[in-house]
Amino acid sequence: MKLFQKTKTEDSKHQRVLRELIKVVGREKVLSAIEDRICYSYDGTKQKALPDIVVRPDCTSDVSNTLKIANEYEIPIYARGAGTGLTGGAVPLMGGIIFDLKSMNRIIEICPGDFVATVEPGVVTKDLQDEIAKFDLFYPPDPSSAAFSTIGGNVAECAGGITGLKYGVTRDYILALEIVLPDGSVINTGRKTLRSVTGYDLTRLFIGSEGTLGVFTKITLKLIPKPKKIETLAAYFSDRDDAIDAADLIIDNNILPRTLEFMDKMTINAVRGYTGTDIGEDVEALLLIDLDGTEESISHEMPVVENACKESKALATKVAGTSKERETIWAARRSISPALYNIAPHKINEDICVPRSKIKEILQKVDQINEHRTIYISNFGHIGDGNIHVNIMYNDDPDQAELAESIVNKIMREVVAVGGTISGEHGIGNKKSQFMELEISPKELAIMKSFKNYFDPKEIMNPGKMFLS
Amino acid sequence: MTTDWKTEVDKCSKCGKCHTVCPVFLETGDESMVSRGRISLAEALRDKQIVYTDKLRDYVYSCKKCMRCRTVCPSGVDYEVIISAMLRGVAENMGVPLFPRIIFRYILPRRILFDIMLRVGSKIQRFIPGKKRGQMRHLPLLFMGKRWMPTLAKKSALKKLRKTKKLKNPRMRVGLFTGCLINYIYVDIAEAVVDVLNRMNIEVVVPQHQLCCGTPSSSMGDHKSSKKLADLNREVFESHKLDAIVTACATCTKTIKMDYLRTLGPSWQPMSDKIYDISEFIDKYCGDEYKTKPVDEKVTYHDPCHLLWVRGISDEPRNVLKKSSNFVEMDQAGACCGGGGIFTIIHYDLTLKMLERKVASIERSGADTVATNCPGCVMQIADGFAGKDSKIKTTHSIQILQKALVNGGVNKGDEE
Repeated sequence: MKLFQKTKTEDSKHQRVLRELIKVVGREKVLSAIEDRICYSYDGTKQKALPDIVVRPDCTSDVSNTLKIANEYEIPIYARGAGTGLTGGAVPLMGGIIFDLKSMNRIIEICPGDFVATVEPGVVTKDLQDEIAKFDLFYPPDPSSAAFSTIGGNVAECAGGITGLKYGVTRDYILALEIVLPDGSVINTGRKTLRSVTGYDLTRLFIGSEGTLGVFTKITLKLIPKPKKIETLAAYFSDRDDAIDAADLIIDNNILPRTLEFMDKMTINAVRGYTGTDIGEDVEALLLIDLDGTEESISHEMPVVENACKESKALATKVAGTSKERETIWAARRSISPALYNIAPHKINEDICVPRSKIKEILQKVDQINEHRTIYISNFGHIGDGNIHVNIMYNDDPDQAELAESIVNKIMREVVAVGGTISGEHGIGNKKSQFMELEISPKELAIMKSFKNYFDPKEIMNPGKMFLS
Repeated sequence: MTTDWKTEVDKCSKCGKCHTVCPVFLETGDESMVSRGRISLAEALRDKQIVYTDKLRDYVYSCKKCMRCRTVCPSGVDYEVIISAMLRGVAENMGVPLFPRIIFRYILPRRILFDIMLRVGSKIQRFIPGKKRGQMRHLPLLFMGKRWMPTLAKKSALKKLRKTKKLKNPRMRVGLFTGCLINYIYVDIAEAVVDVLNRMNIEVVVPQHQLCCGTPSSSMGDHKSSKKLADLNREVFESHKLDAIVTACATCTKTIKMDYLRTLGPSWQPMSDKIYDISEFIDKYCGDEYKTKPVDEKVTYHDPCHLLWVRGISDEPRNVLKKSSNFVEMDQAGACCGGGGIFTIIHYDLTLKMLERKVASIERSGADTVATNCPGCVMQIADGFAGKDSKIKTTHSIQILQKALVNGGVNKGDEE
């Protein structure tokens, strides 16, 4: 992390901007002390870059006024929710101004009769889920960071999560957005209705735009009725392919589980070493399956799921009905992250996604790429969606870091070759810009860049993200 | 110290999970007031990018050291090592303010001076007008306006309990570590501990030379003073032949059981193993052997941070309360009450917000009394109720048990 060394003219520009910001948004919302800047210099990727100024807006007009100033002086500007992203989306790579949108965290309205809720971007996803649960309603997208990431960040990255197979991802639940554009103007895309096809779908353009086009200040979400009951089944397999077959067979039986999570041998070994769970030594893959619905629907579906696992040569299955039993089964899944850090201090967490029929193939490719087992790779994730977290663990040795990078590079190529995508749910940020061209053709890239140029001609919004240049 | 903070900071993966539990961050949403932010500040200090400033000190002092973050951290960062180093850095670089410094260095290690100072205080407090239910506007030593603080006791717990009541055939012989708040203010808690244990045929020794556990000085970064206190306390407690040491203060338990392992080294382990929170001790060693007649009042329990989050103790105090009262659970029982040392002075506004939430939870529970296992929490919560003229009483859970034992007609233990 370098302290900002400025030339004299830059320095006086910086002072002017600071003065103007304080004038329009208020002294208490503008932070420029080094201690504050450090606290807004990173995200979940551990990358660091110091912003010059932190603005903690209170309302849409604070955001708009700040953007006007940034645009006028052509200063880079970034939107930050909780700073938990995994691709560098909120890291202020080029310095400038960073919004701490956690300060805008009101739930504006919940309309149970209309199945919609409108919130400010800084609301923590789980807080919203808890709040709407009081009305027996449900906002399904459930990234593993839901308890601390914000809705705004979830929309900007189009976060996924474990309920994707049955319920879809963030973009499937966004009806309307209030967005402040780089010039400070405010637009409202979409309607607060469950459907609207008027004009081009600008809302979707902004979902997953990673803060490169504008800043969300209000988000209207679609809600659905809350399932009455959840039951969990754990199935243990001696062979990875058996587990994948079982997942296929369950879906072939016309059952869409609420979650269908997979863990491979390396992952299980890591968890076993860390928590000492009772998972047997002969288990080389496991599936964690949540079914939700009513008492009746689950009692009908659970035996079908269990049979599908047994038909696919499951060593054993375990059903958990009470929340305490479910918690025990899920503990293994939740302990993956600390368990992996117990093995090596550094992790590259990729979120590749392939057609379900290609899962076996891509996992074999990953094995081949890491043929000599020179590095530790653990695969787990949302197998129902074909979204696999390939975690490459390495130690402090610089050679290992280089090797990890080259493995990622090879995996990305294979993923695109089988018709998959380089990012199922984490976004591109600066971490994956280099792989964009693998998946997106020059023509489409040009279209994307022309959108960017239309909204943000001075390229002040989150520079260094998404595209290589 | 075994773990070096300079390498410990690198373990933080910046995931942000500490956001979910940090009581200060939940109020402020301010990244500089959560472990992840402070760890990045520690990194910058290590790399000499920043120096200690007033602002940095405020951010360091904004930590309540409740250690919730450590219990959820997926990367296993020992945050306590890092925050302790920063507190020490504040003290070394900015100095400990003169008044606390004199107290830490010269008064706390000398019981007699501490006694004199507080005796003078207890005389002066008589002249302070406006008392409510034993609470008054100021604690003579810390001039915090607006707050309702308890009055200082006329005679300290150590003095009152100087003579050990010898039992005929005691099952065990335990020592009581009183801690300062109980020694000088909540003397009745200490008396209740001794009385309850005696009724269970356990002899209680109150070593007269014991001193402050050292938390006030270490929380202001004065580790030298803390080390001195730890050494002196070690001498005192090792000189008595005790089966166990009990305390009624969550923070003192944490300090002498856990922190002393760092200050005094692994040789403290055998003693550390014998230290118990009072409810933990009763639940473990007295189990079903005691007969109570539960009191009529509805009692709820507030989990002190240092008991729940540092030691994972939550069932034991509840077991004791269920046997001795009409127990009701409150929502958010594990949420911080906002009390605790320097934090309440520097971040008074946050203290009040946390207290308000706690008071509301207690009111919602419908309880007549809130019990807890820490005199610091008792003081804080009582302050919350005194301010609003509420009828809800605040007490230590051992005092509820004491009443239930008296009700149940359990005798006071046969004297030798």
